Amino acid sequence: MRKLGVLVFLVLSFAFAQKVHLMWSGAITGPTSDAGKYYAQGVEDYCKYANEEGLTGGLTIVCETRDDQYNNANTQRNFEEALERGDPAFLGYSTGGTLQLKPLIQEVGMTYIPASYHIGNIDPPDSDYLFLPIVSYSEQVIALLEHIAKEKPGAKVALAVHPSPFGRAPVPDAREAAKELGIEIVEVQEMAKGLDYTATLKRFANKGVEYIVYQNVAGPVATMIKDARRLGLKIKHAAAHYAGGPDLLRLAGDAAEGVIWVTSYYMPYEDAPGAAFVKKLGARYKRPADTVESVHYPSGMLAAAIAIEAIKRAHAAGKPVTGDAGREAVYAEMLRLSFDPGLAVGPVTYSEEDHVGVDHMRVFEARGGRFVPISKPFQSKLFRKVHYGK
Amino acid sequence: MRNPWAQTGNYRTDYRQDTAIFATYLEMLSLWAFLAVLLALPLFLSRPQMFVLDLILVYALAVLGLNITTGYAGLINIGQAAFVGVGAYTAALLAPSLPFWLTVPIGGLAAAVAGGIVGIPSLRIKHLYLAIATLAFQIIFEWTVGHSTILKQGGAIPLPRVEFWDYRVGYKNHYYFWYYVILLVVVVLAFAFRNLLRTRFGRALVAVRDNDRAADAMGMHPGLTKIFAFALGGFYAGVAGALYAYLSRAVVIEDYMLPVSIKFLAMAIVGGLGSLVGSFLGPAFLVLLDLNMEDLANWLKSLGLSYAGVDIASAMRPLTFGLVIVLFLIFEPRGLANGWRLVRNFFRNWPFKY
Amino acid sequence: MSYFLQLLVSGLVVGSIYALAALGFVLIYKASRVINFAHGQFIAVGAFAVYALAVYLQLNVWLSFGIALFFTALIAYIVEKLFLKPLVGQPIISVIMVTIGLASLLDGLIHLTPFGGGNFSLPRFLPEGGVSFFGVSVSYPQLLAVLLTALFLAGFGWFFQRSTLGAAMRAVADDQMAAMSLGVSVEHVFALAWAAAGITAAAAGFIVGTVSGINLESLVAIGLKVFPAVILGGLDSIPGAVVGGIIVGVLENLATGYLDPLVPGGGTAEVFPFVILLLVLWFKPHGLFGTEEIERV
Repeated sequence: MRKLGVLVFLVLSFAFAQKVHLMWSGAITGPTSDAGKYYAQGVEDYCKYANEEGLTGGLTIVCETRDDQYNNANTQRNFEEALERGDPAFLGYSTGGTLQLKPLIQEVGMTYIPASYHIGNIDPPDSDYLFLPIVSYSEQVIALLEHIAKEKPGAKVALAVHPSPFGRAPVPDAREAAKELGIEIVEVQEMAKGLDYTATLKRFANKGVEYIVYQNVAGPVATMIKDARRLGLKIKHAAAHYAGGPDLLRLAGDAAEGVIWVTSYYMPYEDAPGAAFVKKLGARYKRPADTVESVHYPSGMLAAAIAIEAIKRAHAAGKPVTGDAGREAVYAEMLRLSFDPGLAVGPVTYSEEDHVGVDHMRVFEARGGRFVPISKPFQSKLFRKVHYGK
Repeated sequence: MRNPWAQTGNYRTDYRQDTAIFATYLEMLSLWAFLAVLLALPLFLSRPQMFVLDLILVYALAVLGLNITTGYAGLINIGQAAFVGVGAYTAALLAPSLPFWLTVPIGGLAAAVAGGIVGIPSLRIKHLYLAIATLAFQIIFEWTVGHSTILKQGGAIPLPRVEFWDYRVGYKNHYYFWYYVILLVVVVLAFAFRNLLRTRFGRALVAVRDNDRAADAMGMHPGLTKIFAFALGGFYAGVAGALYAYLSRAVVIEDYMLPVSIKFLAMAIVGGLGSLVGSFLGPAFLVLLDLNMEDLANWLKSLGLSYAGVDIASAMRPLTFGLVIVLFLIFEPRGLANGWRLVRNFFRNWPFKY
Repeated sequence: MSYFLQLLVSGLVVGSIYALAALGFVLIYKASRVINFAHGQFIAVGAFAVYALAVYLQLNVWLSFGIALFFTALIAYIVEKLFLKPLVGQPIISVIMVTIGLASLLDGLIHLTPFGGGNFSLPRFLPEGGVSFFGVSVSYPQLLAVLLTALFLAGFGWFFQRSTLGAAMRAVADDQMAAMSLGVSVEHVFALAWAAAGITAAAAGFIVGTVSGINLESLVAIGLKVFPAVILGGLDSIPGAVVGGIIVGVLENLATGYLDPLVPGGGTAEVFPFVILLLVLWFKPHGLFGTEEIERV
């Protein structure tokens, strides 16, 4: 009988609560799907959780994850559908798709939260409605350079980047920052998936490279790290958010020992409320171990959490949350959003000038098959100086 | 007496009648009716639906080009997306300084030049080897864009909003405006495609496809004919690319990479190689299939049909895409156009029996 | 000097993987004149089969490898019977397109397993480190790659020269009509060629799995690298596939070693083999060892 009561209640609340649609469009198949798959699950699970636990302020948020196969035409169509339906915000994914949609996003005034932390997303022109969930690639890479400069002043560094806008994004800022820090960027090398990086590594070694900084995906980085170890090179490795993480450890094994990594998220084995929350959700929605371990799972949750929070606040303020007025109301909330979902190492704060949500990150080091934090949460001042000139 | 409304017999007495485009008034009438439907279609469709329709027409242009190189001339082209990309990048670079009615044809010309250059090896090689040369062009194109700062290394090059006399295009009318532009281009180029086979050059293409030595013996130059086929196919692709650039408002390398080339080939095959109608049916079929797979995938997902670490839904799209190609090749190698042919033949002498 | 030597040796290692992949490709082309765009997917099937057996069923790695060879061969055999056989006698474009369709179909099927996305690595069964000579270092997995490739090439060489079946396959490759009139079952030979290609693909997948990690996309990408290799060697030449594969591997490494510093951004290894491919097509259209076709009107 109780079950029936709960069911009736659920059906009724579903029928009476105002429905708001929220769409995520990203690569569940195709290139980068090894990240997109988990990101989508994070979006779905957080959304279900928020609805079930009443974190939506009386609204029913219907989340939909679409597989755009890393194809920009699909992303554009999904975005148009969301716009037509009157969605107040949109969760995006790839660098290319986001950059392509920027003029349209600006024109229609839709809050857009991509999974790509490319600084170009929130740089003008047409960037008013774009919000990064955590610190940008540029800031991540500069943070790594700062760490390196502290560890070894005057170090020689090589950048190994993905052959795409995603990989090339932080290169100009990194060059500037290196000048400021007094370290030398010897070379910027684009590296796609390959079977063997001996040639690249030998060349780096000949030029006296001491650190390699990766803005890439985990697969090639793992091969390169393994090759470096085999060649007996004394090069240290430092990875930005998408280049490191549990995936890297699984692929590179022992060779990953000592790799530096920077991210804003918690690791599931850490003693932190954010980590416990991720594990709880993973167990609740019966996600396999690899999902819970993946750093992309909480990433997806954070993006969903930000959008849902802004929608909830707009609704609480008595504003409409769908259609043209809804977009406006949610955007207004985004601009003064400040809350801590606990998923990352700092609160999410946005303002007119600040379109980066979580402004903090931590440096990790791989020790004994795990990434262990070796710094307190921090922001990179140098990044602001280099990129914005202040 | 010849019945102008139904083809109840062969009354052709000279070559002119043999190459006539419309055999009966009924055919001409149905074409005009179809065009009228196309013109009125935007009245009934929402913006996302318009985008899909625009997309189908742009793809159809690229597939028309492919049907010249691959369908008419028999040169397998695995780099059509790169030709589309050449047109798109040309348009994007010129758009700030030139109006769109100039950038679109210039984009087409740029891709035609690229097509001619890629076609040069066909002076010596043929068949499969040529197919792989187009594959090499595709890879080299992607790499070159990725290394050109002027092309933003593959990042987005935005195109400015279009103004047409006093008509300003905003996001609300964007897809509608471009629909009519694309439709106009499609009608012109489709007409040219249909007429190509009535010209000397068009028939040379087919002759070279069927047997290039024999064509050579009959006074055609197989090498130059092949280069011509590549250039013309490239022109169609370039125009498609320039229009696509305006349609998506920015050029990003991902839209012009190898999987897209393969998609164009699949569209041509599914539609029916060398067929005008097939060039529209193929893109329409594959685009709509993809959309429906998405709905099916979401439905499967809502049933909870997935097991440890596997998302059945996400497998549906590559699976059905591949299956459709394979099944078409095995069971209907003439593509959807064959179905169209059967319908048309039925109505050709309707209501008479023969 | 040791720099150059190291590049050469690393190129040889990568090249031998390409050679193995190219071998399977040429086997199919030689027998049935089919260009197989789904070869990368077969490599993936092989690699994931080894992984599934070794990790999920906890079998010995070598045993898993053996079973995976058989399994991939079986899949390739079935694919030929189901999808290629109905197309015998159809124009080339149909046959090429069917393999492109197959590539997508197999992709979809792989996405139905847990291997669709994500990165995996085989359990380590070789000791750490490797051997060094003249300042050149080669890891044990890489050594294994070269050895296995050599073994497979020798095996196939023997098979084609000495065994009856091999002779039948060569006969079909030479002249289908003549072979048929002498009582060779051409259909059977086509299917067997696919099975043999499946074996080499699985071997290539296994080697990639030991040398680096396995990931659907990178495995499929190897299927693409095969093209410059086979064009260089000649589409229908088995020794050509080996030489072509190794040359492409070495060229890639030399490009990375010497060309990349000159090009801002680098990454020339991605495109260099294809530039060479175009040049080869221009000057020597049938590759180094390919048969020149004589055509009649």
